[in-house]
Amino acid sequence: VNTKLRLALFVLVALVQLAVAGAAIYRSELALRTGEAFRFRIQPVDPADAFRGRYVAVRFAIDSAPLAEGTTVRPRKPVFIPIEVGADGYAAFGAADTKAPERGAYLRLRAGVVTPDEEGRTHVWVAMPFRRFYLNETLAPEAERAVWAGPRGRREASVSVRIRNGVGVIEELYIDDVPIHQWLAENREW
Amino acid sequence: LVATQALVGWIVLKRFHSTAWREGSATLLALTVAAAIALVDQTYHTGGDLESFLWRWSLLLAPLPWLLNSTAVAILFLAALTWWAGAAKVDGSHILVMWPLAAAVVPHLIRVMRSQRRGLRAANLQWAIAIFLCVAAGLGLENRVPGLWIVVYTGLFALMVALGAANRRDEDGLWRRPLEAVGGAGSIVLWLILSFDEPWRHIGWNHINTTEKFHEVASWVDVLMAVGLPLAALVAMALLLDRKRDRLAMLWGMSVPVIAVAWPVTAATDSKWIGMAAFNLLLFTVGLATLAEGVKGQNLGTVNLGMSVVAILVIVRFFDSGFGFIFKGLAFILVGIGFLAANFILARRLRSSEEEKS
Repeated sequence: VNTKLRLALFVLVALVQLAVAGAAIYRSELALRTGEAFRFRIQPVDPADAFRGRYVAVRFAIDSAPLAEGTTVRPRKPVFIPIEVGADGYAAFGAADTKAPERGAYLRLRAGVVTPDEEGRTHVWVAMPFRRFYLNETLAPEAERAVWAGPRGRREASVSVRIRNGVGVIEELYIDDVPIHQWLAENREW
Repeated sequence: LVATQALVGWIVLKRFHSTAWREGSATLLALTVAAAIALVDQTYHTGGDLESFLWRWSLLLAPLPWLLNSTAVAILFLAALTWWAGAAKVDGSHILVMWPLAAAVVPHLIRVMRSQRRGLRAANLQWAIAIFLCVAAGLGLENRVPGLWIVVYTGLFALMVALGAANRRDEDGLWRRPLEAVGGAGSIVLWLILSFDEPWRHIGWNHINTTEKFHEVASWVDVLMAVGLPLAALVAMALLLDRKRDRLAMLWGMSVPVIAVAWPVTAATDSKWIGMAAFNLLLFTVGLATLAEGVKGQNLGTVNLGMSVVAILVIVRFFDSGFGFIFKGLAFILVGIGFLAANFILARRLRSSEEEKS
């Protein structure tokens, strides 16, 4: 392979590298700036990732959605789930379908196990693609402790998520409705 | 990332003949790519779990070893790919795609072997590939037919020993003989495992797993590996090895005919002692023969290798069985004395023969 061809190929590879990183930035920024905001109730725990450091693993209070009438979903295939606001002000799942809804916010997720519940309705289990909230090394364990050491054993934790065209991006982690960094700054003493 | 890419671009243009520049900058680029994806993931709290990160990184690394002629990146790539395969396997995903992706290092391997077959780069690359194959063969198995791993690994290690021996041109140093080192060490460990009865329990077509769901293609890849690897080892031994010069390697390849008989017989009769007995016998025979070969060739390393094999076998069988504590202790000491005495005698003989020469 001569130098010109090699350089051309390398430029191509370099562009792909930039595109992968750039596309992730673009999608996330778009969702953050123009997406509709929802609040999800969560339980945080604090693990670490070998490459990307400390984060708060976000376990969502809702993890399954009823299937829309007349649809069948296969595990590991994409499902589209409309996001609604429940009576408590937190986000809730609508009926899952294999097509994107025409109106309203929705998430494109990968289907997990499909099981019937007690009333015989079929539910599809899903894992959110945004399950991590990266935090400073010292703050991440504190955030977890903060939730579990609340007055009644446990504080309310939630994340706000911006959703656009099926893509959701976590915006902020809240403890008792206060953004996490602010909450930790105010509650430093314990 | 852009700065590193520019640097690599400049090196492609101006400094491509320099191995140091190429390897160095390519490694920097590989790590920068990882840092870039990680940073984006962190900033936007996206990107899913470790598995997804390793997958994207492996994909982006795949063209670099060939394009930048970099062995260091090839090693990084194989490591990332193995790690991903492990994480994905734990997660229950299919990892069949690992094999074609891993083939991305083959063009680089061919080039390195052509230009500097005896070089350090070739040795390093072979180490990485040998270790990758050991792990990947296990991860890639779908295990629909229980016990198929026994055949796959026996064939793999025998093939490594044969290819390594064929490639050797009397160079010393274990580091430059990675295939033989990994294949030999792997063989000893594997044979020792197989000298217990546990691995031979419930193997073969009579115990095909029907309750779980399996990937159809991956199951066939299992069969392909189980048939192909031992066959390839036999072919390599028959075609590449010199019957006189490579007697030791041929000896270590004995496991292939042994497994070709022991595995089907055990599977058909469900009597696990057949396989177990076969591998105890194999370890003992190969150990003794290696020892004899070492004494004949006056090679201390070979003597110790053969003696280690026999000693480990004796020790393992001893602790396995119900002999008394004192008896075991004595046997342990005797094995040690045997080692010492053999080395002492051989070292003396070696020295005297050298004196004769001079």
